[in-house]
Amino acid sequence: MPRLLLALFLASACARAVEPAAFSIKTMTAQMKYDSADLLVQSGQPVKITFENGDDLPHNLVFCQPGTDTAAMALKQMEKPEEALKRNWLPDDPRIWAHSKMLNPHEKEVISFTAPQKPGNYPYVCTFPGHALTMRGVLKVAPMGDKLHDLKFALYLGNWKELPDFSKLTPHREGGIEDNLLQVKLDDYKNEFGVVFTGKLIAPKKGSYRFYLSSDDGSRILIDGKEILAYDGIHPSGDIKEAGLTLEKGEHEYRLEYFQAGGQIELYAAWKGADTQITPLSTWLHPHWKGGAKKQKEYDPIPLVVKDEAVIYRNFIQGAGNRGIGVGYPGGVNIAWSAESMNLALIWRGAFMDAARHWNSRGGGHEKPLGYDVLQPTGEATPAFYASEKPEAEWPKWDKAKRYEGFHWLGYSLDAKRSPTFRYTWEGAEVEETFSVEGDGNKPDGKAKLTRTVKVTGKLPANAWYRIGSGSFENKDGSFISKSTPGYRITAAGAQIAGQNLVIRAQTGTMTITYQWAQ
Amino acid sequence: MKRLLLLSLLCPPLLAADPVEADFYKITTFATPKETAMEVGSIDLMPDGKLALGTRRGEIWIVSGAGSNDASQVSYQLYASGLHEVLGIAYNPKDKNLYATTRYEITRLKDTDHDGRADVFENVNDSWSVSGDYHEYAIGSRFDKAGDLWVTLCLTGSFSSAVPFRGWALRIKPDGTMVPTCSGIRSPGGVGFDADGEVYYCDNQGPWHGSCTLQHLVPGSFQGHPGGNIWYDLAPNMGPRPIDPLPEAFQGERSRKEDRPGGDPDRMVTERTRIKELLPPAVYLVHGKIGNSASAIICDLSGGKFGPFSKQLFIADQSHSNLSRVYLETVNGIKQGVVFPFRSGFTSGLIGGRMDEEGRVFVGGSDRGWGARGGKPFCFEKCEWTGKTPFEVHEMHARPDGFEVTFTEPVDVATAGDVKSYSMREFTYAYREQYGGDEIEEILPKITAAEVAADGKSVRLRISPLTKGHIHELHLDGIRSAAKAPLLHKVGYYTLNEIPAK
Repeated sequence: MPRLLLALFLASACARAVEPAAFSIKTMTAQMKYDSADLLVQSGQPVKITFENGDDLPHNLVFCQPGTDTAAMALKQMEKPEEALKRNWLPDDPRIWAHSKMLNPHEKEVISFTAPQKPGNYPYVCTFPGHALTMRGVLKVAPMGDKLHDLKFALYLGNWKELPDFSKLTPHREGGIEDNLLQVKLDDYKNEFGVVFTGKLIAPKKGSYRFYLSSDDGSRILIDGKEILAYDGIHPSGDIKEAGLTLEKGEHEYRLEYFQAGGQIELYAAWKGADTQITPLSTWLHPHWKGGAKKQKEYDPIPLVVKDEAVIYRNFIQGAGNRGIGVGYPGGVNIAWSAESMNLALIWRGAFMDAARHWNSRGGGHEKPLGYDVLQPTGEATPAFYASEKPEAEWPKWDKAKRYEGFHWLGYSLDAKRSPTFRYTWEGAEVEETFSVEGDGNKPDGKAKLTRTVKVTGKLPANAWYRIGSGSFENKDGSFISKSTPGYRITAAGAQIAGQNLVIRAQTGTMTITYQWAQ
Repeated sequence: MKRLLLLSLLCPPLLAADPVEADFYKITTFATPKETAMEVGSIDLMPDGKLALGTRRGEIWIVSGAGSNDASQVSYQLYASGLHEVLGIAYNPKDKNLYATTRYEITRLKDTDHDGRADVFENVNDSWSVSGDYHEYAIGSRFDKAGDLWVTLCLTGSFSSAVPFRGWALRIKPDGTMVPTCSGIRSPGGVGFDADGEVYYCDNQGPWHGSCTLQHLVPGSFQGHPGGNIWYDLAPNMGPRPIDPLPEAFQGERSRKEDRPGGDPDRMVTERTRIKELLPPAVYLVHGKIGNSASAIICDLSGGKFGPFSKQLFIADQSHSNLSRVYLETVNGIKQGVVFPFRSGFTSGLIGGRMDEEGRVFVGGSDRGWGARGGKPFCFEKCEWTGKTPFEVHEMHARPDGFEVTFTEPVDVATAGDVKSYSMREFTYAYREQYGGDEIEEILPKITAAEVAADGKSVRLRISPLTKGHIHELHLDGIRSAAKAPLLHKVGYYTLNEIPAK
């Protein structure tokens, strides 16, 4: 009587119904682009598009017949601009079969239509003067491809960190899958097993095909005994891996190996031919698959590499307000300082910043830290200093339209290792803050430590507090453990928990605070 | 006689190929350090022939040897990095420090240990706000004659001002205090000075702007875009908030004498009569013809080392990757003048520019975000006079009944004295909230006389009618110099804000 009872869920063999396709298309601020340039629908599928103009210029969304030179079409209306203006820059052209209104900046419209029956690439474009060259995309109408045939599974038990050689193992259980879709559904046990799926794939003609794979944990695909895609190891199903392959017309052996160590269980596989859509071969659909378009990264990364000197990056850093100053210290520990709230905004480890967002095109938006384990000990762009009779009082919150009163930013100086000392005044008192790093933030050995030294000169207001943490903390052996995720520990002489605040009574002189990631 | 003249008009001299810009002004492209993208956003002069370049990537480079005739003599030292976009750089000869205008702050940089790298970054002024929108650029000046720095602040996007002083020009006094100085700014591309130290900025086509413009920053003035006028409460020195311009252009048919209540809001001229603080652009940098994205303002103070255009202004353009040339005059207390194409062919979109005492124009920029004709993603270049004088219109002065046009070389009296050598077209742009706009209200005036001065260096044109507020586009296709050369640039655009009294 096996204590580990696993079963593969057998779904009904009915085909997927043609559900309406829903897409959201946004115009990207200042890039003269739609955020999706590639939509995939089935012939005759009902389509609903939420079109949102996030840019500062007017834009529309105009769908044309395959082969339409959309740039020439948009340009042609400039021959009679007065007439075009009256039509709100919608070309008078029979090749247009669906379109939105000309949306003003920050307007939104939902348009619905039925996708054409005829497979093909239907271009869409913004016809406002001068936009058509870059603001365009393609609605691909294609039928779904074939599913797998004769799909079987073999279940193995074991505790692996990567795919084992299943050929040397004995299956715990084997069987067929009625609906021919890859699936993992378990009754009462969900860790430490592996599955090998085998089936037949029928290529409708000789040509190139693409295969897609994502899983939690590891997996790989073999076609005719040859590995074409692997996503091995223990990980969430974050990315969709893909690979191309030329197949002869006819039957091919499809083999997918999967293992589960612990936690989430997810498996997604799909394929596509020249004349078909990306067709899932699994019951579970990866969230990035929905809508058919593959999310592509906008730009090649421009990582700012920290070597033996600190690196400064002043720009819009996510979580550090609008006057963020990133500092990457040697040793894999990074901070963002806010010259808005005169406070430490973020701490993270690993890589420093990716400048690609800001150093491409118009450079809009806030970029998140490139590393990991990002800590925000206090709220975004809130000051450390605050005068209150009650240290548990609610600290001032960031009002984007206003500046904090009583604070004055003085700037920073760099030491020989380019490490900054930040300077500001609060209610007349002068404050200097420096940071130093011990250990290696890139190593998960719990030794990476950030030390913050705060030097106050001059007279502070009465009841001045210096907040070093907000949220829930637990006092453990003189250290304060944050209950947030990722967890971390703050140590400082004189620190006390006051409601949701971790504070120090601010005094002229020096305060020393250390921050460490919990292990 | 008449027939002969016609013949000579039809058959320009075939002695040599028509002159080209490169015959008179040469461009040198400098190699830049491989480890960076030298997206020059600002340039200033430093002692000993050095230059300071501020970049869009937030770096400041000190350049040596750029004045040398040998371009390979140029060398670069990274002075500072990690700043939030340096779109203004200013060397202060008094304290010998560089001042950088960045996204939200003017920073004074010091190199206290003299290792060639800045180690002190002091906030001089950060009293304007940023909402995090990409469009909120801060474009800074060099020090003006009073020792002040000027900052022009882009609106939040094209229409509105989310946080204080977006859409304003501010002055930062030597003690670091800030003075709100002009409202009405949309999307500045550069701030600069004329030969008298008057301050100008370039604005870009968009809402309330049918075209890029060169605008005179007269303290207290409203420069045309009302989006930032919500901050008058924070600027008591500026007086009460001006009344708003009417957002919609005239929609009726003028020929049917259709009118609309509240007057005719489509032209700057009519709104000027209603809004006393409204200052019209000094010069429209005609969209698509002069440029599409005006940036740096460079005044020729070299005393002839840059050729015959002493004290004139050169306007850089990011989109067209070119320089155009502006001659300004004051009529009825208001700046106005003419713009001519000057030199195209820079390799990327120009943003920063500065001329040294030897008449070398240093420019640089990038094509990022808007695209540029130059084709390269960024550039740092030098433009110098070759010593040959181009046959060009030198100055163009408004007169009560026309214009007086002066030339760099004596003209051929026969062609210059013939009204058929010229043509003129007048037009304006709707002054309205909507983005951009066409050239409208075209008038084709008659040129009734062309009288050549005794010295052969100027021509008096009598035009009927002149139209106040219109751009007067003058073509001089038929004119030849005394040496029978055609003009290097045959069209100029004069913005006639005011018609001088008789």
